[in-house]
Amino acid sequence: MAITRIGKPAIADVRGVNFRNIIINGDMSVSQRSTSSTGISGNGYFSVDRFKHIISGLGTWTASQSTDVPTGQGFANSFKMDCTTADASPAAGDYNVLAQIVEGANIQHLKKGTSSAESVTWSFWVKSNKTGTYICEILDGNNTRQISKSYTISSANTWEKKTITMPGDTSGAIGTGASAFLQFNFWLAVGSDRSSGTLSTTWTSTTNANRAVGQVNLADSTSNEWYITGVQIEAGSQASDFEFLPTDVNLERCQRYYYTHVTGNNQHIGMGGYYASAYVTCGVTFPTTMRSAPSLEQTTGTEYYRLYVNNGSDNFDSFANGIQQATTNSAGIDSNSGVSGTSGQTGRFVTYNSSSKISFDAEL
Amino acid sequence: MNIKNINTVTKTYNTHTNQHENYMVTLVDSNIVISVPLDESNRHYQEIQEWAKIEGNNIIDPGA
Repeated sequence: MAITRIGKPAIADVRGVNFRNIIINGDMSVSQRSTSSTGISGNGYFSVDRFKHIISGLGTWTASQSTDVPTGQGFANSFKMDCTTADASPAAGDYNVLAQIVEGANIQHLKKGTSSAESVTWSFWVKSNKTGTYICEILDGNNTRQISKSYTISSANTWEKKTITMPGDTSGAIGTGASAFLQFNFWLAVGSDRSSGTLSTTWTSTTNANRAVGQVNLADSTSNEWYITGVQIEAGSQASDFEFLPTDVNLERCQRYYYTHVTGNNQHIGMGGYYASAYVTCGVTFPTTMRSAPSLEQTTGTEYYRLYVNNGSDNFDSFANGIQQATTNSAGIDSNSGVSGTSGQTGRFVTYNSSSKISFDAEL
Repeated sequence: MNIKNINTVTKTYNTHTNQHENYMVTLVDSNIVISVPLDESNRHYQEIQEWAKIEGNNIIDPGA
């Protein structure tokens, strides 16, 4: 029987296909924090995982995970920005950006800062009632460099696929340390400080005035909304089909940066017990290695948490001593407030209110 | 959490070692409390350092 040889190109193709999307959660399918968040007027992560709002003075917004998607493309969700308080006259320093910040370790294959630097191609589906020019930007905060390109929303309220290629940057290498990153920006509105120059369509040292020239003001009416999905940014000058990942893989990639451990009533938190008569400690292991030692985010209120111990229970309001001995893989969460028991007794911690929530945040 | 919605920042100590272990951050108009480890690559840690530079903002230190 003849043996068919697998040639080198085939192997190279396979290697190139897997995880080629630099963007995590580009299909907007993971939304651990909330499927909808209102009153957004500043920086932060509020709804769909990994996408950060960077806003100063340009409207108030509801961000949500939407089911409005382009037909027949395989997407179940999109990211929706809905303007709830308008600002038709931006002050000079105002800005509104939806960004994903990518850690340096995940973009080494772009060879940035070398003579072999790779081009980068963006592809995404977008829809808005607000037609006109929008800006995409790669911001290299480590080296104070950037590049921008524009795209046009041509037809109101119609899903359109956009493809943008940006050249590689032969200057400004990106490291792999905890503070090394590239920031991929979708501009939504901007004041004159960042739009009064000439759009910088080649890599250059950052001049704010050249970053978002021509950007429409999505904040100029409360009728405005903007949807995006299928965001893929990949090495090379061609856009490939969107890389759909298994849902568990996509979730785990998001959990490197944010992890909701429990939410709601009667949820298992972990094992622990009384370190002292008025001090409890509980161990938590994260499902994947987080980017940095994470922050503990907890809702607090009367008897939000409970320790089952010795055929009884002890209710308390919060893990008042917070995160202890935190690493990228695990942590203790402790309380010395409102607890009382026998030192050395062990038990199991649970949530005890429908609003109880414990999350861990290691976002960039 | 961002610099604009930080209400208070308090040092928390490890009961066993008496070492400063984290910062407890309360937010304006929120029942969410954030406990921030002493990790310079943690974005909340970085934001606390920036918040503390603003005149009038003080990190509360109850002692070990």
